[in-house]
Amino acid sequence: MKPVVFAARSLRREFRHGELATLAAALVLAVAALGAVGTLAARVERAIVASAAELLGGDLGVSARRSALPEDFVDEARRNGLATNRIVEFSSVVFSGDASQFTEIRAVDPAFPLRGALSVRGADGSARAAAAPAPGEVYADRAVLVGLGRSVGERLQIGGRDLAIAGEIVNAPGGSVFQFAPTVLMSLADADAAGLLGPGSRASYRLLVAGDAPAVDRYAAWAREHLPPAARLTSVEDAQQNLRSAFERGESFLRLAALLAALLAGIAVALAAQRFSRRKTEEVALLRCLGASRGEIVLALTLELALLAVPACLIGAALGLGLQEAAFAFARELLPGAVPALPWGPSLSAFLIGLAVLFGFALPPLLRLRDVEPMRVFRRDVDTRIRRFDALYLLPFAVGALLILIESGSGRLAGVLGGGLLGVALATLAVSLLLLKLLRAGGRRLPGALRFGLANLVRRRALTLIQVGALALSLTALDLLAVIGPSLLERWRADLPTDTPNYFVLNVQPDQRRDFEARLDGLGARNLSLLPLAAGKLVAINGQPPRAADYADERAGNWIEGEVRVSWSAEVPPSNRIVQGTWHGDPATPQLSVDQSWFEMFKLALGDTMTLRIGDQEVTATVSSVREVDWSSFRVNFFMMLDPAHGDALPHSFIASFHLPPDSAGLAELSRALPNVSLVDINAILDRVRDIIDRVSSAVTWVLGFSLIAGLLVLLAALAATADERRFEIALLRTLGANNGQLNAAVLGEFAALGLLAGVVAAGGAAPPASRWRARCSACPTTGRRSARSARSRSPRPCWSCWRAWPARGASRGRRR
Amino acid sequence: MTFDSDTVLSAQKLSKAVDGPDGRLTILEEVSLSVARGASLAIVGASGSGKTTLLGLLAGLDRPTGGAVTLDGERLDTLDEEARARLRRRLVGFVFQSFHLLPALSAEENVMLPLELEGRDDARERAQQALGDVGLGKRLHHYPHQLSGGEQQRVALARAFVHGPALLFADEPTGNLDQRTGAAITDLLFAMNGEHATTLVLVTHDPKLAARCARTVHMRDGRLIEDAA
Ligand SMILES: Nc1ncnc2c1ncn2[C@@H]1O[C@H](COP(=O)(O)OP(=O)(O)OP(=O)(O)O)[C@@H](O)[C@H]1O
Ligand SMILES: [Mg+2]
Repeated sequence: MKPVVFAARSLRREFRHGELATLAAALVLAVAALGAVGTLAARVERAIVASAAELLGGDLGVSARRSALPEDFVDEARRNGLATNRIVEFSSVVFSGDASQFTEIRAVDPAFPLRGALSVRGADGSARAAAAPAPGEVYADRAVLVGLGRSVGERLQIGGRDLAIAGEIVNAPGGSVFQFAPTVLMSLADADAAGLLGPGSRASYRLLVAGDAPAVDRYAAWAREHLPPAARLTSVEDAQQNLRSAFERGESFLRLAALLAALLAGIAVALAAQRFSRRKTEEVALLRCLGASRGEIVLALTLELALLAVPACLIGAALGLGLQEAAFAFARELLPGAVPALPWGPSLSAFLIGLAVLFGFALPPLLRLRDVEPMRVFRRDVDTRIRRFDALYLLPFAVGALLILIESGSGRLAGVLGGGLLGVALATLAVSLLLLKLLRAGGRRLPGALRFGLANLVRRRALTLIQVGALALSLTALDLLAVIGPSLLERWRADLPTDTPNYFVLNVQPDQRRDFEARLDGLGARNLSLLPLAAGKLVAINGQPPRAADYADERAGNWIEGEVRVSWSAEVPPSNRIVQGTWHGDPATPQLSVDQSWFEMFKLALGDTMTLRIGDQEVTATVSSVREVDWSSFRVNFFMMLDPAHGDALPHSFIASFHLPPDSAGLAELSRALPNVSLVDINAILDRVRDIIDRVSSAVTWVLGFSLIAGLLVLLAALAATADERRFEIALLRTLGANNGQLNAAVLGEFAALGLLAGVVAAGGAAPPASRWRARCSACPTTGRRSARSARSRSPRPCWSCWRAWPARGASRGRRR
Repeated sequence: MTFDSDTVLSAQKLSKAVDGPDGRLTILEEVSLSVARGASLAIVGASGSGKTTLLGLLAGLDRPTGGAVTLDGERLDTLDEEARARLRRRLVGFVFQSFHLLPALSAEENVMLPLELEGRDDARERAQQALGDVGLGKRLHHYPHQLSGGEQQRVALARAFVHGPALLFADEPTGNLDQRTGAAITDLLFAMNGEHATTLVLVTHDPKLAARCARTVHMRDGRLIEDAA
């Protein structure tokens, strides 16, 4: 016998049978859910990387302070076929007539920008795409123009050179949102000619490269080896944190929902395979009788399922791709830049997982057909010897556990989730057995239909246990999703309440503070926070001048050589949390609170001293507390915070953040009245993040729908498991004279009893994990916040995505509030 | 009893006991029997007397708890289930009371099964011919549920004979059929038996069917009471 031929022949007639349809549907569903979520996640990730490249202005940046990068960095990039762009950034005062303005100058070569687009507003007020500024021309931020009282078409002077203002910058790649002075973009040739880049200029040099991913990777590897001290690489992974994190929080939940859909599909597959093999028992007995070997039979049956499953998984993969295409189209406008190519990996892995689910969950009942006795052809009641324990039954658990491990990406979480589900399954068995026992004893007093239904359940005890188990598991999974899903969604939305600060203001002078506050009050601004800001240099740690070479973290060098900023306030700022020491009260000597990442970077201990030179003053402060700062909170945060009494004595300005309805007319008035302050509008970023959260939320709802359908499939499969017998019983009862009403009552009675059992167990089973989960969520420090450490680490671990953070949180010592 | 070349099937002190709820139950007790090549044997007896059990043991579907079965020179009781399956594939055909056609396969494919199990290339042609022989040449592509009981049993007969087995075992082949159809099937069975020179062992309640066999044995309470030869 050729098993393939036999399998194909059998399938031709049988694929319409309920259980095979269930099996195929379950696989389609599982593969579609996993494929859609996986592909979408990979694609969005690519899109974010692409848009991050635009934000950065290239695919990779190499930056150095003080001295230009060695020439071979450019040569090596060219050798790798990469385009290069040199940028030099330095602070300078620009003049125009009597007016002057402190600015951040970016001198760029003509290749600017390698990625993304530069757009400027001309004298006519309309925005246009632009190339890098030509020699003799500059583009300037609006704040510069306001500060100088000039407009496009007029002139300004930088370093003694007279340059034409060719446009107002609308969007320039490579800038940073929270920069402390407005930008002027000029040509590198001019800056060089003006002698602005000479030794001692305190400029920072940046080389951006762009090209194919492999070439960029090769270059990055080379550059890492040849990096001069105090230089560093900036990869696109470092950019676009807020965009990335908005997606990540959704992604982890989507993965959970898809995973549970797949597990439920697995249960449906197991039930369907169980029914399939029950139905096939007679046939197997006959084939044995005709002399087919066990191997041939099992192979033929397995092939029959495979012939069904492979197309089902293919359809699932295609459906998944279609769904993600729709979802991506929906999300695409949020992701600036080129549409990333479709990644095939996730669909392929979903396809393979589908097959794994099939074999993991369907093989145990199929392989049991090996034990069918040929004598069964004569006597239906010759039961296959039921082995009490069969290692095969561990297979679905192994596959389930592996699936959880793969999709959740964390061994610990997989353990918790897998253990939880296993616990529910075991509890189901125990409780059902107990209930069945009780019902058998006490069932006699029940009304007729329910009694009959119960009698059936008791009689088919093994099947009943399987049914109740499957139902309880699927109800538990759905319950879990139903509890966690909405509360997570709520939490994400709560991250960015409508009055999140959407404007930042820099450079408010102490004598302007009253006026500024009064004006904002008049405009109806909300959530105003005004923090003092002093900029200076870190001159000593514990009395010794710090040396970059002493610290493993290359960023330490940047802070040692560059400018550091310090603020102060009486209260711990929102989105900050003291993790060591105590917040300074009103101390006699200066005290300092340090961000955790700094604390670790500079290998500090409580009680150490840090000396800062601010203007012409020096202040030596004792480190008295360590803060965990949420850098993604859209608030102004500082690495160092002094106590207010000693801070106020330092020369400083103020930095403010507040919320105003976008495009509020009063803001222009404010800019005119306080021309030296610069206003940063982050409405666009906030809108984008909010929009992403909204869309991710609706994607979550969709994927929840998948899980729901999977749950229904399990239900159908569970009920179908007894359908054949039930049909026979009904026919029998009918010949015995039962009327329709009585028959319906009997069937309903059985279902009611089944539902009751499953419901009781599931309610008991899902409540503890769900509430635990909730508790974990609320235990997160100010949800939606990313710990300072994770914000800095290479692979971001969003804290507010409780899903991923759960195990991590458990491991971190006592961070819970 | 010795085994000679003319004996195709023999049983020696064949016993079968099963463990039931009321302890060990002996359902077959020291049955000895031998069947000559090409002969036909009917096993008759009251319901529950152990006929089917004996048939199953003779055909190598089950293992005896005592005694020996020799089928075409092979000791069945010493072979494992896989080896017995190989033997059955080669030597034995079956006809059942409830037909036992595979519902997912057409008449033709059902008949092809034994040939395909042997790995023969001409399975289709031979199956078509066998179906023609039982008068179903026009029903090749019908599925079991599209055939009447009598037609299904004819397909089963075609399947049983198609690979030219040395022995054919039948358990009440007419049990599920009305008298006329039963008679027709009986005729067909013996016609094919004559044509293929197959040894026939059948269990029946039908005296007419038993009468067609060259030899009839009676069973009572798991014991054999031989009648006329
Ligand atoms: N596996 C078994 N377990 C328990 N009892 C069995 C088993 N096999 C057979 N029996 C019992 O052995 C006795 C003989 O059964 P068998 O089927 O051989 O009888 P039979 O002569 O074929 O009856 P019928 O004419 O009704 O088919 C019956 O009482 C039957 O219940
Ligand atoms: Mg019988």
